[in-house]
Amino acid sequence: MSNKHPSDIPPRGETKSSRGQTVLRAILAVGGGLVLVVLGSLLVDFGLAPSWLTGATRDQSEAETAAAQSGGDGKQAALFQPPAESTIPDDDFGKSVRRGMAIFNDTGTNAHDFVGNDLSCSNCHLDAGRQAYSAPMWAAYPVYPKYRGKNKMVNTMEDRIKGCFTYSMNAQGSPSGGPPPYGSDVYRDLQAYFFWMSKGLPTGEKPEGAGFGKIDKPAQEPSRQRGEEVFAQNCAVCHGADGQGQKDINGKVVFPPLWGPHSFNWGAGMHKVDAAAAFIKHNMPLSEPNKLSVQEAWDVAAFVDSHPRPNDPRQIGDVTVKDAFDKWHHKHQGFYGKEVDGELMGPGYPSGDQASVPAQNENSGG
Amino acid sequence: MTDKKPDPRRPDETFEPFEETRRIPWPVYSIAIALAIWGVIMLVQTSTAVEVADKTQKEVAKEDSTKLAQAAAPDLDAGKTLFADNCATCHGDAGEGVAGAFPPLHGSDVVKLGGAKAVTHIVMRGIGGKLNVNGDGYEGQMPAFGSVLSDTEISEIASYVATGLNDDAKTISAPEVADIRKVAGDKDPFDGGAGLAGLINDLPAQPNSEAADQGADSERVARLVGQGTDTVWACASCHGDKGEGIETVPRLAGLPAPYLAKQLHDFQRGTRFNDSMAYVAKGLSDREIGELANYYASMSSPSGAKPALQGDLKRGAQLAKQGDWSIGVPACFTCHGPSGVGVAPNFPGIAAQQPSYVAHQLAMWAGGSRHNSPLGLMAGIGKALNDSDRRAVADYLASLAPMPAMDKTELAAMESNIPVREGVDQ
Ligand code: HEC
Ligand code: HEC
Ligand code: HEC
Ligand code: HEC
Ligand code: HEC
Repeated sequence: MSNKHPSDIPPRGETKSSRGQTVLRAILAVGGGLVLVVLGSLLVDFGLAPSWLTGATRDQSEAETAAAQSGGDGKQAALFQPPAESTIPDDDFGKSVRRGMAIFNDTGTNAHDFVGNDLSCSNCHLDAGRQAYSAPMWAAYPVYPKYRGKNKMVNTMEDRIKGCFTYSMNAQGSPSGGPPPYGSDVYRDLQAYFFWMSKGLPTGEKPEGAGFGKIDKPAQEPSRQRGEEVFAQNCAVCHGADGQGQKDINGKVVFPPLWGPHSFNWGAGMHKVDAAAAFIKHNMPLSEPNKLSVQEAWDVAAFVDSHPRPNDPRQIGDVTVKDAFDKWHHKHQGFYGKEVDGELMGPGYPSGDQASVPAQNENSGG
Repeated sequence: MTDKKPDPRRPDETFEPFEETRRIPWPVYSIAIALAIWGVIMLVQTSTAVEVADKTQKEVAKEDSTKLAQAAAPDLDAGKTLFADNCATCHGDAGEGVAGAFPPLHGSDVVKLGGAKAVTHIVMRGIGGKLNVNGDGYEGQMPAFGSVLSDTEISEIASYVATGLNDDAKTISAPEVADIRKVAGDKDPFDGGAGLAGLINDLPAQPNSEAADQGADSERVARLVGQGTDTVWACASCHGDKGEGIETVPRLAGLPAPYLAKQLHDFQRGTRFNDSMAYVAKGLSDREIGELANYYASMSSPSGAKPALQGDLKRGAQLAKQGDWSIGVPACFTCHGPSGVGVAPNFPGIAAQQPSYVAHQLAMWAGGSRHNSPLGLMAGIGKALNDSDRRAVADYLASLAPMPAMDKTELAAMESNIPVREGVDQ
């Protein structure tokens, strides 16, 4: 008070001064409040406010939302966000990335010679291979080359992609009769795409969101009968009552077939009920992940995977379904080699040229 | 005076001068300064927005004038960009086509023989039915772009296809396109290769036209659509003469018949709410509903939609083609088909749908007042989009070519066989 103007000093007794103080306090409080409001609104306007204050708006918490929506099963671990398409560079490397993306999203058109069914990579690896818990490519790229007990060798990324061509894309039925040969530009471009997508992730560490995510064991044995009902209610509108998918007026596949001659073959990872259940739980019905209960996901997976589909390409010539079962399928949770309603699962469809099956690589699970 | 306690309510005479000579307290200063800063920032923000708007306006004006100046020489670079935006989804980035589904434009005998002029006709009217290109047979449906592309744009695309994707030397100018529009603009899509025969000399043999005699629509349907009855208002009075819709009244032309029939039944039953349509639908018999659905499904008409909601078209294109998975929205086209032409019987085409209608429906799904979609699929999507996303995607869809009409013979075979949980929202 000492350095104040003389007239600041209340000329009268205590009451006066306390009243002056009350007014001062009121002005201080209101003024301070207003300043805070103004500053606060400016901060919010410029997106500088912490998200816990603003109630986690969309841009600021993409990671959390994505985790919540896509089958993290309540896990709140931050998910890696792959870079936006707009950041693909405008140079020769970028061109390769774009070609890789085009192959991934419309494989039948852009890698026509090596595709023997109606599927594209992005049918199982959603959002152009970016969606967590649908085996995203950003989560795969940093962990290859990797030793896989399944074929007892170190698999490069090329080996792994070849696996998905051989089985998931049923390359045996393609115009060339097999997957792209080693060194093909198809692998080069796809790997450029994956590499670009995983920028910033440490190598050798499996990130959260990899694979299809975990699914709990079902309370009851998976049942085809219950699965059929789940299918009719939740899947048929898109995949068709007969599971054969749907095409548009120009014959372009919109909803992919889940079984039958134009779907993945008996060597593909998706034929295993546990893999399909995890995929379905976290990704289907499309746009409504985690809608199905754990039991429903297992039941419908069992229903989908107990229908005929193209043969396991390793089961050719003298190799019978029983041989193939003993050699490659006995540990799998699936219907391969079993009888469903009196029909043996596995022989596939009589098809033309099956000679050029990859000999080097018995990599299942693609 | 000193022993008298001052009345706290009434300021004494010393109070006012005392307050007046006081310096303004610092909070007042800070408020003033803060408000001033805020004001300035707001001003700058709006002025940049205005600037941006001005700039785009100027650019547009400039583009228009340069385009006018170069009317004779179409801009092939613009043609290339337009090609990528409008044609590449079907014909491929380099016009290479897709075996068995979409004919090539690069090296196509149709383009080589007919040149930019034939391409203009085809782009303007669309083409469907059996067609041979380089000896390979196709039987697809290409939408008509006449109603969504300007003369300049068509001249640029057609010139690019003829001279950029092929080695023809002749381009076509906007005025020439305008002349073609005058004579051919309203015509139905070409009936496959047979339909092109009159346009292109020496075209290699084309399959015979299979167009079934469309036959006169039943008199009853024509009356319902055109004049209405005592209890049914004429459909055309709201949905337009060509079923193209307006504002919040939807386009009906080319939507799958089973979808249309289901909507009319839903209005009747009250599982979809709209006062006008409830009244109209209650006056219709099941048979009339079936006939009206087929009538509109097989109707081919130009787009009556234009972007109108100031939506961000780039964001709209992203939502439609890639989706935004961070908010749980897959690409609209994964369900509504590539180019948004729909997948019969359950997924209606959304290309060239009226933007106000689309934005309104999305908002209704978000709010729960439309809840008749299979599995509640659109409810989740409507809820995930905010207002500006809804406007963005609605405007983008309005910029697309309309879906082609459905084939009448196929219509007969088609019916919606999918269980739908009535009125279930999620
Ligand atoms: C029918 C569904 C299906 C299709 C189609 C498909 N994949 Fe896969 N893919 C799988 C399954 C199942 C796995 C194993 C996921 C796991 O291990 O959790 C897998 C795994 C992978 C992996 C390794 C992922 C990892 O985390 O180790 C790569 C890489 C891959 N796929 C690439 C491709 C490419 C490239 C294509 C297209 C040529 C393709 N996939 C098509 C089902 C599919
Ligand atoms: C709204 C439509 C829709 C519904 C409903 C739906 N799916 Fe899908 N499903 C798709 C689409 C589209 C894809 C391909 C993903 C992509 O390309 O984005 C797909 C992919 C799949 C795949 C992997 C590809 C293949 O062909 O094997 C499986 C398996 C699958 N769905 C199973 C199911 C099951 C089981 C259900 C029911 C619980 C279901 N889907 C419900 C649209 C749907
Ligand atoms: C929705 C898919 C689609 C789009 C988009 C599309 N087309 Fe087509 N186009 C087709 C189909 C299908 C045919 C064959 C029609 C038939 O079988 O009767 C065709 C045929 C043609 C033909 C005649 C055949 C040939 O190969 O020479 C030309 C020319 C053509 N389109 C040009 C264009 C141009 C230019 C654009 C962009 C403005 C375009 N198309 C956009 C599907 C499409
Ligand atoms: C008074 C104006 C009016 C008349 C007359 C009218 N409609 Fe409508 N119609 C509408 C409006 C508005 C909507 C959109 C309702 C909404 O917002 O849900 C609509 C929606 C529809 C839909 C749903 C379309 C979709 O894409 O989901 C169908 C089908 C339809 N009308 C058919 C008809 C038929 C057939 C007739 C004639 C018998 C008719 N309408 C007469 C105003 C009208
Ligand atoms: C998961 C599948 C799916 C996706 C993704 C999807 N839709 Fe739909 N949409 C549907 C279904 C199913 C209907 C039919 C609703 C009905 O029968 O009531 C529909 C109907 C509509 C309609 C009503 C059409 C009419 O004529 O009334 C509009 C508009 C629409 N969708 C817009 C969109 C937009 C915009 C997007 C992308 C942001 C989108 N949809 C994404 C499944 C989908």
